[in-house]
Amino acid sequence: MAIKQHDYYKDIESVYKKPEDYELAGKGNAYVRVDAEAKVTGKAVYTDDVDLPDMWYCKLVHSPYAHARIKSIDFTEAKKVPGVKAFLTGKDFPEGHNLGNPEAFKELADKEPLCREKVRMIGDEVAAVCATTEEAATEAALKVKVEYEPLKPILDPFEAMQPDALPIHYPDQENLSIFTVMNAGDPDKAFAEADYTDCHYYKTQQMVHAALEPHGAVAKYENGEWTIWTTTQGAYVSRYWIAWGLGVPESQVRLIKPMVGGGFGGKLDVFAHELCPCKFAQMTGHPVKCILKRDEVFMCTRTRHPISFEIQSAFTKEGKMLAKRCIHILDGGAYGGSGIAANTLSLICATFPYKVENIDMHARRPYTNHPASGAMRGYSACQVHFAHEVHMDEVANALNIDPLELRRKNEITPYYTGPTGLEFTSCCFDECLTACADYIDWEHRFRFEEGSGEGIGLSGSGFMSGTGFPVLVTPHYCSTAAIVRLNREGYAVVFSGANDIGQGCDTVMTMIVAEELGLRMDEVKLVQSDTTATPWDAGSFGSRVTFLSGNATRHAVGDAKYKLLSHWAGEWGCKPQDITMKDHRVFIKGDPEHNISYNEACFGYEETNFGRCCAGVGSFCHEGDKDVYVKNVGNYATAYSFSASAAKVKVDMETGQVDVEDFVFGHDCGRPLNIRAVEGQIEGSVAMGLGFSCFEECLYDENGVILNPGFRDYRFPTALDMPHMKTIICSEQDPEGPMGAKEAGEGSTAPVGSAIANAIMYATGITLRELPITPERLWRMLREHEKTGKSAFGAEDLPDKFANMPPLPEGRY
Amino acid sequence: MKRVIKFKLNGEEREELVLDNMTMVDFLRKQMHLTGTKRGCEEGECGACTILLDGAAVNSCMMLAVEADGHEITTIEGIRRGGELHPVQKEFIDKWALQCGFCTPGMIMSAVALLNENPHPTEHEIRDAIAGNLCRCTGYVKIIEAIDAAAKDLAKEVS
Amino acid sequence: MALPTFDYVKAASLDEASELQKKAGNTAMIMAGGTDIIPLLRDRKRTELKTIIDIKGIPGLDGLTYEEGKGLKIGGLTKLYTIQNDPVVNEKNKAVADAAHYVASAQIRRKGTMAGNICNASPSADTAPILIAMDASVKIYNKETGERTVPMDDFFTGFKKTAVVPENGDILTEIDIPDLGPGEGSAYLDHSVRKAMDLAIVGVAAWLKMDGRKVEDVRLALGGVAITPIRAPKAEAFLKGKELTDDVLEQAGEIASGECSPIDDVRASAEYRTDMIRVYTKRAVKKAADSIKA
Repeated sequence: MAIKQHDYYKDIESVYKKPEDYELAGKGNAYVRVDAEAKVTGKAVYTDDVDLPDMWYCKLVHSPYAHARIKSIDFTEAKKVPGVKAFLTGKDFPEGHNLGNPEAFKELADKEPLCREKVRMIGDEVAAVCATTEEAATEAALKVKVEYEPLKPILDPFEAMQPDALPIHYPDQENLSIFTVMNAGDPDKAFAEADYTDCHYYKTQQMVHAALEPHGAVAKYENGEWTIWTTTQGAYVSRYWIAWGLGVPESQVRLIKPMVGGGFGGKLDVFAHELCPCKFAQMTGHPVKCILKRDEVFMCTRTRHPISFEIQSAFTKEGKMLAKRCIHILDGGAYGGSGIAANTLSLICATFPYKVENIDMHARRPYTNHPASGAMRGYSACQVHFAHEVHMDEVANALNIDPLELRRKNEITPYYTGPTGLEFTSCCFDECLTACADYIDWEHRFRFEEGSGEGIGLSGSGFMSGTGFPVLVTPHYCSTAAIVRLNREGYAVVFSGANDIGQGCDTVMTMIVAEELGLRMDEVKLVQSDTTATPWDAGSFGSRVTFLSGNATRHAVGDAKYKLLSHWAGEWGCKPQDITMKDHRVFIKGDPEHNISYNEACFGYEETNFGRCCAGVGSFCHEGDKDVYVKNVGNYATAYSFSASAAKVKVDMETGQVDVEDFVFGHDCGRPLNIRAVEGQIEGSVAMGLGFSCFEECLYDENGVILNPGFRDYRFPTALDMPHMKTIICSEQDPEGPMGAKEAGEGSTAPVGSAIANAIMYATGITLRELPITPERLWRMLREHEKTGKSAFGAEDLPDKFANMPPLPEGRY
Repeated sequence: MKRVIKFKLNGEEREELVLDNMTMVDFLRKQMHLTGTKRGCEEGECGACTILLDGAAVNSCMMLAVEADGHEITTIEGIRRGGELHPVQKEFIDKWALQCGFCTPGMIMSAVALLNENPHPTEHEIRDAIAGNLCRCTGYVKIIEAIDAAAKDLAKEVS
Repeated sequence: MALPTFDYVKAASLDEASELQKKAGNTAMIMAGGTDIIPLLRDRKRTELKTIIDIKGIPGLDGLTYEEGKGLKIGGLTKLYTIQNDPVVNEKNKAVADAAHYVASAQIRRKGTMAGNICNASPSADTAPILIAMDASVKIYNKETGERTVPMDDFFTGFKKTAVVPENGDILTEIDIPDLGPGEGSAYLDHSVRKAMDLAIVGVAAWLKMDGRKVEDVRLALGGVAITPIRAPKAEAFLKGKELTDDVLEQAGEIASGECSPIDDVRASAEYRTDMIRVYTKRAVKKAADSIKA
């Protein structure tokens, strides 16, 4: 049995500051974001702000077809544009070096840097041009003539799985990019014995991340080495796939993550706009920039998986959940990449925040000719908790149990182990539900008559905190590392691979070091996400940054601190644990004889150690079973966060317009490391959840051409749409989290859509099983409800589609 | 075609040779190297490129650089006051009214324009003034709080 | 995205602009605020365009005046934001300020003009219905034929076509909105998904003249439901002489919804638009009636 992490870091953890001594962690306005001033002055450097001397520009040529064969590519006219210098097609990249899936599934890597023979989605990249100005590159890209042989696009995931469907990638695989099975207990027995069973269908739409910063990259090639600045959520992950796509060793590629203007999962994968500038930089000797236009971001990056659900449940008449049988069909779009993880995540999310011992679930992710789906904030959880939480209210109403009570009867409790091996630690789900119910006055919810146009609804959810399983690349399973160096001039430097994409982890890492060393925030210098300067980090995904990188940084600063204090303990004849670091001093409490400055302490250490500086190295690794991804049994994360939310809505019964008048969010995120930062994450989650439930959807015509690739008709909430809201943090410190913290930014998106949908259900008297609930959709349902009395709407096509689905392929899981 | 334009940029008189078909956002970023003005959509839909034209907030992607001839342009780089941050900037820092920061310069320019015109805005007026500045991170809550606080700071200065 | 190559000309007078435009025909375009032209150029929707004629340097076109009994005069260069916030407009005809306010964002409204909004002739342009309902007229200048006045009823001539014929050298210089007399009221309502930054699914404007409790005269204009903004004559005829009871309003809405011929598009189905005309006609008439000062 290998040594456990806590044992490995036992000495280091022994000098950690005690919670009662925290001066920064958990406080509200004890410090400000380390990047705030750069951002409010416009000085913060994002990828498009990287401006190198003699830089040239790259533009991509995209397919106007969702599915077609490439017959020829003609650059004749494009070459005539003044300033045009070079071109690329798929053949310029090494064959077989496709981009994409987790390393564990590398044989399924399916995205060519530029398409060679076939395009699989609208906007698929077929060629690239390089010119001296962005204007010339734009003009030339418009003049590249590509001849296609159009193929029938497959836009319905159920159609894609039929045996006679045209293969989008590989023959004889039913177009499945991946499928996943998860079983536990004896569901057949549970269903046979249940008082209540049901079978309902739900459906969610395609959504995009819509980070305000469009994707882009700048590459230069000098001394046989590439340096790339790119819009990434994971510098090491991007470097891995860029090197692979170029067919060069990782040692020859340096990736620097500048400021990133939002990611939400959309900047995890590696794209043509990163590889083409690299290639051009090598060909021309010039630095090359490629920034996507907004419509390119819509088509060529990633989207949120639309999911079709079949949910069967078994309950006792008292409301105890006995079993669940579910099938989740995820529209994978044209490619795999970060989308591969969606299946497993969708199933895990269906196993909590309620206790259910007997499960029989599977998920399939067929390829279609839609733009590729991938990771997106609250990965799979938003869709799953929409379907499963609306379902909870349907069950509650069928059993005539208060929906809040039904949730309470089944809620997960601290230190529960789930049927598939999820090991929960701290859990304040009950407190979250209570806080939301109290705020929204749930007890008097019938003050609004059903169908009156006003109503309140609530919902709960859970999410992984510190995802332990790999997305895209896994050299060290899913670890992260940090280095901290103490400087005798009165400061410390932290080298962190954590990727701040706006969520604020640069501030968290700085704070952890400052807190442990008793320094001010501005006495801690951060070197971040540069593959040459900072240690390995798997990236910003799976709510892992605060949890994993935070623990790694604390281990690193703890290592340095332990070395320093061990030295002074030797000098002063005490134990390292007896020494305090506070206010730039190193001292034994109540002992004026032993009280020196931080600078003196560092200097003394160096003097004794032949000038060797005091530095620490730390890491954190989720100690899971490496096969968890394949077997789908085991513990996926080190801890789990829990959320509840409740909404008060007012529906215009004539137009179908929904006004969310009040919203409350209860979040169990362990100890919040900064209350305002946590609130900010939750407020942003509510905005995104409102968009998910009421506004946002990518629309396509019958040829797979996107109809709304811009912010005019892809509507996410404006400041006027954002409801009044209240955040309530309901938590105790988590034993595993850094300073007791758990995740705060992803799980918080999960219960928003269902709370709003449930509120609309009580306001209107109709059950809504499909998103988004746009005014027109709701108007249509309200009219039909009035005419025919039909009271549940959405996903009407699914019973037939599920019934006609081919059986799961055998022997492939 | 190219032509010389005379205009005031962040308080300084300038003369620049510009291309007729260059948008203001590209001119500011590529020719003036003022990269605080962001390109978020280039369609007038997101507000990340908001600047002040004679004190009024406009989208610099919806404007030609030549249109600046004879006018005054202010960007996020030009709103410091006497070596200090503008109260709106200070409150954005203090209230944690930013996350990824990409919408922040445009958002601040809209807020500055609002407070110049309307020193005591209601919450609804604040929301209306920044409705053309999309933010995907914050849910706007702390942004609204920061602008409200900045209005009060400015009112104190006056009194 | 970079704009294609074109020449920019800043006209110093109406004559210069008119002459240039006529000479260049469809290869030139008049620019005021520019907020509709730049997307058109960027998306390469008018590849024949070689010249942009900026009229912002022409003096005297940015007025906004009010005269008792005559109404509002809005210059060709007067910005939507100015109209939205003008205290006199808000006092004398709030529906006009409301219509201006519905357009896009504060940033767009600070650059875009009302004249540009109607010349662009989008079927769902927010300022068109209220101008039609108010029986407004526009002044069009042409160097060769001089100035002419066109009532808003005749302004929209086809899909994206208006009485302003650029190839002839026409320039819209002024919008005249009659004053609201005693017993008269107006309203404009826009229905969209978001509360801001959205194009209207439908827009309904109403002007009413009441005789005591009965409707003496009424004009209704509908946006977003035909190739141009349209009147709703049958609904108007129905309303005349009636008291505005809930039932009458409901029926007027029904009739108006029968008068439009919307299309399905990415924003809404024809069916939804038709029914929203019913709802918003009802609401706009009610709002116009409520706006009448006692």
